[in-house]
Amino acid sequence: MKFVISREALLRPLQLVAGVVEKRQTLPVLSNVLLEVQGQQLSLTGTDLEVELVGRVTLDEVGQEGEITVPAKKLMDICRSLPDGAQIEIEQDEQRVNVRSGRSRFTLSTLPATEFPNVDNIAGEKTFTLEQGSLRRVIDRTSFAMAQQDVRYYLNGMLFEVSATGLRTVSTDGHRLATCHVAMNGPDTAQQIILPRKGVLEMAKLLTDPESSVTLSLSTNHLRARTENFTFTSKLVDGKFPDYSRVIPKNGSNVMLADRTELRQVFNRTAILSNEKYRGVRLVLDTDLLKVFANNPEQEEAEESVAVEYKGDALEMGFNVSYLQDVMSVLDTQQVKMTLSDANSSALLEEPEGGDAMYVVMPMRL
Amino acid sequence: MSRIHLLSPRLANQIAAGEVVERPANIVKELVENALDAGATRIEIDAEQGGVKLLRIRDDGHGIEHDDLPLALSRHATSKITTLDDLEAVASLGFRGEALASISSVTRLTLTSRAQGAEDAWSVHAEGRDMAASVAPAAHPVGTTLEVRDLFFNTPARRKFLRTEKTEFSHLEETVKRLALSRYDVAFSLRHNGRVIHQLRSAERTIDREKRVASLLNKDFIDSAVHIDAEAVGLQLQGWVGLPTFSRSQADMQYFFVNGRVVRDKLVVHAIKQAYRDVLYHGRHPAFVLYLWLDPKLVDVNVHPTKHEVRFRDGRLVHDFLFRTLHKALGDVRPDDRLAGSTPATLVPQTAPLSGVQAGEFQEQARLDWQAQAVQENAGSYQPAFNAVPQQGAVSAQLDGLRSLSQPLDVAPWGQEVRQGQPQPLPQTPSADMPPLGYAIAQLHGIYILAQNAQGMVVVDMHAAHERITYERLKIAVDQQGVQSQPLLVPVTLAVSEREADAAEQFADEFRLLGVELARVAPESVVVRQIPVLLQQAEVPRLITDMLGDLLEHGTSDRILAHRNELLGTMACHGSVRANRKLSIPEMNALLRDMEATERSGQCNHGRPTWTQLTMGELDKLFLRGR
Repeated sequence: MKFVISREALLRPLQLVAGVVEKRQTLPVLSNVLLEVQGQQLSLTGTDLEVELVGRVTLDEVGQEGEITVPAKKLMDICRSLPDGAQIEIEQDEQRVNVRSGRSRFTLSTLPATEFPNVDNIAGEKTFTLEQGSLRRVIDRTSFAMAQQDVRYYLNGMLFEVSATGLRTVSTDGHRLATCHVAMNGPDTAQQIILPRKGVLEMAKLLTDPESSVTLSLSTNHLRARTENFTFTSKLVDGKFPDYSRVIPKNGSNVMLADRTELRQVFNRTAILSNEKYRGVRLVLDTDLLKVFANNPEQEEAEESVAVEYKGDALEMGFNVSYLQDVMSVLDTQQVKMTLSDANSSALLEEPEGGDAMYVVMPMRL
Repeated sequence: MSRIHLLSPRLANQIAAGEVVERPANIVKELVENALDAGATRIEIDAEQGGVKLLRIRDDGHGIEHDDLPLALSRHATSKITTLDDLEAVASLGFRGEALASISSVTRLTLTSRAQGAEDAWSVHAEGRDMAASVAPAAHPVGTTLEVRDLFFNTPARRKFLRTEKTEFSHLEETVKRLALSRYDVAFSLRHNGRVIHQLRSAERTIDREKRVASLLNKDFIDSAVHIDAEAVGLQLQGWVGLPTFSRSQADMQYFFVNGRVVRDKLVVHAIKQAYRDVLYHGRHPAFVLYLWLDPKLVDVNVHPTKHEVRFRDGRLVHDFLFRTLHKALGDVRPDDRLAGSTPATLVPQTAPLSGVQAGEFQEQARLDWQAQAVQENAGSYQPAFNAVPQQGAVSAQLDGLRSLSQPLDVAPWGQEVRQGQPQPLPQTPSADMPPLGYAIAQLHGIYILAQNAQGMVVVDMHAAHERITYERLKIAVDQQGVQSQPLLVPVTLAVSEREADAAEQFADEFRLLGVELARVAPESVVVRQIPVLLQQAEVPRLITDMLGDLLEHGTSDRILAHRNELLGTMACHGSVRANRKLSIPEMNALLRDMEATERSGQCNHGRPTWTQLTMGELDKLFLRGR
């Protein structure tokens, strides 16, 4: 195997592929990246057995065909530290791979490509296409609420619900929930899958070109996303996601409208003096006025008043301020709408006109 | 087919003996308890060959009347209770009326007794299949002597299970220890093969009692123990608990007495363990000698033939009382308590914990001190170590000297002076007001603080000490805030046993107080709707099942508290100064003052000691000064 490529053309796919590769491995070949040359096409593959990412680059001239695996991190570091515009020549020499650029020469150890694990072929696919920007949006608006290393393993991921009319993502960590919807021409039969946390985060990184399209294929245990330059495959979490529709409060009668940026700053400031561990703040609502209080074990206190649009009952309730901050920073409208029913029921946050996203936050009993 | 018939009295007694008499130690326990119930003030125990060959127990109690002697050896005969009401509130150690009959069925037993006011002594022994008692005149002072020979001579099967002489005697000695610890007003002596093992005089004053504890257990124990005397809600707790630094690798130095009766009770052990939590190093066991006194009506001792187990009528109350008392006692230990009054006069006992040999040596010299003037001359600089008056002078002179080296406490120049390595001034305080942990002198390798106090040198592990201080502060802060709970958006369903689900319903109020809301959704499953905010990241299912287990077992659960403290511990660890942080002298002094004011500052929250004292005497020893 032998090919010549410019530093920039190699670096971007290499960085993304190396992102999939776990730093600590029990299986040595998993810390390697698979290089494959076929005609004018170079493909790079990285995997951690759960998520697989294939990056494709077109070479300027036909290379010598072949396949081999080399340490991903080292190859990436070498490419990154070479000067801009450098031409890199990679050549396999029996058990070694030589990397040459200008007057630099590196010899990397290899493992045979046959040892590199393949993700099983996908069977029983449902395929549909949507814009990268739309997919990115539904992921970005909900990914923050995914659980991290929860024993309820199915919460450590994102629910994708596809139907004939659109795609909905849902994530929750048991305390708050985020969901977002995009309309598209989906498959005829609806399906729910849970994409693991790492798969969600890695896939989002690939969706850099909002205009072009991405093709998603679903099977019972895999999801595959294909763009022009990448093929991303992830195993799915086998579990039952909580029924999100039951969690979303339906009959909140007390509606508050507030300026999002202002409210966000208020939360950011009060959070400073909330308890480090509890993160609790008290929200006191009265006609057209919202007061936010926080205090910590050192008896330091914060108090903020914000003018809002509110005509409902006088309410006082506690919230984890981090959850509110998360929602405020992920929304992008001028205003935000908060629907409440009473001090012990969950609050619904969304854009004033409804919008495509909904956030549910559970209050705290202070 | 065999026919049903009545067992012979001896066989019946031998069967009964199976429950009570297993080895010589059991016999000693039964007989000494009898002596104590008879109001003895002196009890002598003689053993030969570990008590298997011969056991002689002699007391000066009220003795047994001649007419009662034959009855004494028969089964279910006792003078201690007469009606069921007596059983409800047993005040004596024994009451079943089985001991003598059982023992005499498996040994050659002779009972000699002279009752108070009687003119003659009589001896009795049981013989034959029907255990007919034969009474003969004998010579004996007022009191009773029991001679038990040849244990299990007629039951070879049981004899085979006896261990070596040494093992049997160590069991016997342990029994005597327990009994001796239960009654300070009684003098005990224990001889083995003619050799005196323990000779204990009756002890009325606390100091004599402590001597008895020291001679029975370990001198180090009493030196590093906290004396406890607390009373509340009709319960009284007295005794000594070892400081967490005096921990054992085995739970062998644990003596708990309920109304003078030694018991091993799950509830008690749990309460004590809980009190020691977060001061005891992982896997170590506390040492304690504790006496709980309560109305006999509130405790049932008729649970087990050996009476090692008891049942409290209000277990929860006893548990809480024990926990609170001990927790407070351990929390109130301050550095100055450990320095025993912090006057130099106590230097001699201070050095004792180091080693028995050293301690002995020292005490000898302290006694000699007053006899020989010549010694004083020779002793020269060594003298302050054991003579109170000159020592006081020496320290204050030293402090005065140090103080005169520079102007009074001024924060800014101090830090610089450390780096220059100049001698450090001590703050302007009279030496009488020297704080227990003294004043910092320097920092050693960025890990330890060296300080000087009235006794000598103090070495403080600065991270461990600061960790404890931060931890205690966090705990207080969190306690003040009260329970804050977070309802779950997605409730967690747990599969539990039906018994646990019942407990979840039964203890719903306890759970709510702790910030947990549980509901039963099926016979064998409960759903958790709300958890304390602090435990958001905790593994809820395991926590709840553990709590249910605790509640079923002990009626209380401290899992939430334990879990919370664990979290706070981690926070404290991260929020404390780490090794290699340079501290200035004022910072170090502030840390020492904080330690003096903080509860449980003797140990970090993992139970490691935070500071240690090297007295002038010990330092002198290192340099052979005054030899």
